[in-house]
Formats: sequence, structure tokens, C-alpha cells
Amino acid sequence: MASRKQQKEEARQRRLEQERARTAQAQRRQRIWMLGGVLAAAVVVVVVAVAISLGGTSSAKAPKPGTPQAKQTFSEVSSLLGGIPQSGTTLGNPNAKVTIDYYGDLECPICRAFTLGLDGGGFPQMVKDLVRTGKVKVVYLSFCTATCTNHSHTLFNQQQVAAYSAGQQKLFWDYADLFYHEQGDETTSYVNTAYLNDLAKQIPSLDLKTWQTDQTDPSLLSQVQGEDSQASKLNLPGTPTLVAIGPTHETLVNGGNFPTYSTILQAVNAVS
Amino acid sequence: MTTTVSQAGPGTQRTTRRRDGLRVAIAVFGVIGLVIAGYTTYEHYNGFATLLCLGGHHGHSSCEQVQSSLWSKLDGIPVSVLGLVGYFVLLVSLAFRGELFRALGFLVALIGFGFSAYLTYREVFTLKEICEWCVGSAICMTILMVLTGIRFLRGGPEPA
Repeated sequence: MASRKQQKEEARQRRLEQERARTAQAQRRQRIWMLGGVLAAAVVVVVVAVAISLGGTSSAKAPKPGTPQAKQTFSEVSSLLGGIPQSGTTLGNPNAKVTIDYYGDLECPICRAFTLGLDGGGFPQMVKDLVRTGKVKVVYLSFCTATCTNHSHTLFNQQQVAAYSAGQQKLFWDYADLFYHEQGDETTSYVNTAYLNDLAKQIPSLDLKTWQTDQTDPSLLSQVQGEDSQASKLNLPGTPTLVAIGPTHETLVNGGNFPTYSTILQAVNAVS
Repeated sequence: MTTTVSQAGPGTQRTTRRRDGLRVAIAVFGVIGLVIAGYTTYEHYNGFATLLCLGGHHGHSSCEQVQSSLWSKLDGIPVSVLGLVGYFVLLVSLAFRGELFRALGFLVALIGFGFSAYLTYREVFTLKEICEWCVGSAICMTILMVLTGIRFLRGGPEPA
């Protein structure tokens, strides 16, 4: 009798175990499906977020020279720079009391924001209020950041020398400003000889043949390489980095910060 | 918080304590993340006037450079605000029991981890600047991804 009862109990335990195992298996299966769903949803959301992030920083490629869009862009450049003296990579009165050294990379999206006055970038107002009035001159210096992260020193040298060659015709700032206006996504290979040529063709007063010849001038390449190496030695935090140089002393305008007009003005007043 | 021995055996009690500890750990890192995101959101709308930053360069803050960069916003929304929402949802998911809420917590942590990894890449390779607050948040999200992952995969009943 006791043995029968024991057998019944054992059978009941087995049934319960089997039921528990079936339930556990069903729960495991359900969890695996949910895990797959969670992973897939996370990947989709992150990919979309990265795509939106990249989309927000990229811009259209250079418009074809002569098109209304190209003319419109150049008219914006002219309205900012027109009438201000240029020499090489210097913008403004050569006798200005204060010099601002601007370390930049033409492919750097933060330099673009700063130069075009996006997100509070102080360059346009600095040109209007300080450079045009003769108080300050700006000297552009090359520092390979975005281009070297995504591409190479070779490409950096090519694009910077193209801009410096325009500087031989006192049009460096027109070329650089156009570059920033039409800058593409730094992670893509949009900068090539055709892109650089198209930029040059958008500047009506640029002599194209001379510009092309000047690009082979070894002194321009040495200048770009020398400035880049100097910036690295100075351990500058990135681009854009501005240094204000006055008659007696100098100061770093922004260091790691995004340079707004107020920070520039503060530095200019400090060194004047 | 733990069940009594009369209701469950010692093994169950140990498991329940472990699960309880896991939820506490998630709550701690969730709150740390929430505080970081709240602080950086406040600083964003306050013009970074009082932003503290250990990573100074020539006496200037690298945090401001990162947080005012083009990568600091997603379609116009500051990423610190997105972080704030993420940590809040994660903590809310912790307050509820059940498979769905465990999955929600894990999903939020996975998204946070993925996007934090992308932003850290931008900090290091594009901006060449490090913002300690962003790194702190990325570390929190990484830990939370592991903890919420364990919570989700373990399943089973949780203490109230």
C-alpha cells in the first residue's frame, strides 16, 4: 500500500517536473525571441540616430560654377570679404595692432560652423566689427585635424595648397570661405582635384592658369607642412584654435572652446 | 524586500537577494547617469556658464568644445536631453515587474550604449577633445547595458 502511494507520488512528481520543464522551455523560447527583437530594435534606432547625426553635419557638394546657386554662394562670400585687403593667408589691415592666428582645417566641420557663423561661431561678426574697421588682422594657419582623422596628410596638403595658391592672387579667404560654404561630409571622399577646381572656377577674379601653376610651388607646400608641424608641437587642442597677438603679449582665444564673438572680443581687448 | 525562509528555501532567498542587488545596482547607475544628463542639460541651456571640466587645455574647457560641437545635437535636440529621457525611462522600467519592462530597460540601455559609443568616437577622432561628463555617461550606459542584460536574460519573478 505504502509502495503504491510512493509510486503515485513519484509519478506526480515526474509530471510536475515535465510540466515545469515545458514551461521553462517555453519561457526560454519567448525570451530568445524578445532578445532578438530588442537587439534588432536597438540596432535600428542607433543606425537611424547616427544617420540623422551625419545628415545634420553634411552639406551639399560644390555647385557647378556659373549656376545660380554658385553665384548666390559667392555673393555671400563677397558681401563678407569684399573691400578688405588680403595678402597670402592674411585678411585685414597689415598694420592692425592685433593679429588673430586662426589654426584651421578646410574639412573640419567645426571650422565651418565658426567661419560661417553657425551655432554662434564668431568669425563673420569679427570680420565685420574688427577686421573691416582695421583693428584686427586674421592670419590663417593650417592644422590637419578632420582631414587626417578621416583621410591623409597628402589630401590635406593638396586642399590647403589649393587655397594658398588662391592667396598668391590675394584671394585665399574667398577660396577658404567658399570651401567652408560648400564643405561636404568629412567622412566621405568629396575632396578631389575636380572639387578643388570647381571651387576655383566660382571665383570670377581668379586667374585659373596661374592658380594651377602656383599649386606646384614647393614653398606653399612647405608653408602648409611647417604650420601643421608647429601646431602639433604647440599641442593645440584642435581646430579651430585662435591665438590673439597684441603689441606686447598674446593669449589663446578659445583653447578647447568653440570661439564665439564675445570670446574673441575679450581676447582682443586683453592684448590691445 | 527579501522573502522569508518559511515561504521559500534558502536557495530561493539567495537568488532573490542577488536579484534585489541587481536592481539596486541598476538604480544607482541610472541615478548617476540621470544626474550627469541633468547637469549637462542645465549647462547647455545656461550657456555653459558654470560648466565644470577636469580636461582643461591651456586653461580652457574641453567639455564646452564637445558640448557645443555639431555632434552635440541630434536634429536640433541636445544629446544631453536625449540622455535625460533615456535614463528616466530606464529607471521607470525598473520600478515595474515583468518581462516587458525588463526588455524595455535593456532596450533603452542598448540604444544608449550604441549612441554613446558613436559620440565617444566623434570626441576622440573628430573633435580630439574629451568631455568627462560625456565619458562618465558612456561608462554608466555600458554598465547599465550589462546589468539590464543580466536582469532580462535571468527572467523569473523579482522582489516587489
